Amino acid sequence: MFYLSKIEHKFALPPHLLARPIREAIQSELERLFLDKVIQKLGLCISVYDITSIEGGSIFPGAGAPTYQVVFNLIMFRPFPGEIISAKVMSLDADGVRLSLGFFEDIYIPTHHMPYPSYYISKNNTRKWTWEYGEETDEFNIEISNEVIRFQVLSVSYPTIPVEQAKESKPFAPMVVNGSLYHEGLGPVSWWQ
Amino acid sequence: MFYLLLEMKILEENAGALTNFEVLDFLRAKGASKDPSRVLAKVAMSEYKVYDYLVKTPAGSQTRESVKEYFTVIKQHDLSEAEIIEDCEERFPDEEVTEIVEKVGNTLPAPPDKATPEEITKGDEETETQKHDEISYDQTEDGEQMDTS
Repeated sequence: MFYLSKIEHKFALPPHLLARPIREAIQSELERLFLDKVIQKLGLCISVYDITSIEGGSIFPGAGAPTYQVVFNLIMFRPFPGEIISAKVMSLDADGVRLSLGFFEDIYIPTHHMPYPSYYISKNNTRKWTWEYGEETDEFNIEISNEVIRFQVLSVSYPTIPVEQAKESKPFAPMVVNGSLYHEGLGPVSWWQ
Repeated sequence: MFYLLLEMKILEENAGALTNFEVLDFLRAKGASKDPSRVLAKVAMSEYKVYDYLVKTPAGSQTRESVKEYFTVIKQHDLSEAEIIEDCEERFPDEEVTEIVEKVGNTLPAPPDKATPEEITKGDEETETQKHDEISYDQTEDGEQMDTS
């Protein structure tokens, strides 16, 4: 799930941080720039692991901030296809289930990757996906709850930023994980105990 | 007016894999903990969300010793990091599978909230994941690779 990525970045250090020791100031600025942001192909940045080297510090004409060239390692969240991850249900609809890890919420299980056969039921105020296994019709459900669901990663995609978006569309997700609940052992943990 | 002197270069896309435990350990060393003194720690909100997630996984009750022990014990089965054992029946004889399962149960502490070892489902495709147990110790031989067959 997690990898280290080595990055070199050149940036200007805002003057209000200059009173602090240099390492701290740079760490703080790197965190502001990278934490919780998605880098294409690398994934979601979780943390600044360490700083390998700091160079520079010269001030360019007309600027008020010193420019540094820093090499550092970032902890990236980057699931690989085939990986099995535990998550919780965030929402459901006829197109599938959306799962969340708390720090990452764009995990989608489309209808054709739900356990077979499954049906989406939306009645009164409850919404759920039901898996018809053998004779049982109401025993295996997926609903919004605190239960842990295990899914298998199919792919990770990084859609490009749209220039314009319709007002009611979902907020843009820079990183999307597509998953499957199809195989044995996947789905709510309680199904398999 | 700002001169945008911004340039980012990716030097190494993959500078090493980290187990869930290693990430959790890193966050703990930074100051993350379960108790309410969170505002004082130098841990960001987004980092705390990762901490909260990991603490509830089996990594939450692992220790450095138990992970090292698990690694030495499991080495003899010749598995690569993060491997998911598909077609279990074909690749390993039955006794070996039970052996692997037992070793997982014995060396790693139970996940928080559970007293039973990691669950295994039976069937044609037994998927015991080692994802919690990806280890990237440098002392090991010959670059083990991510194998996601």
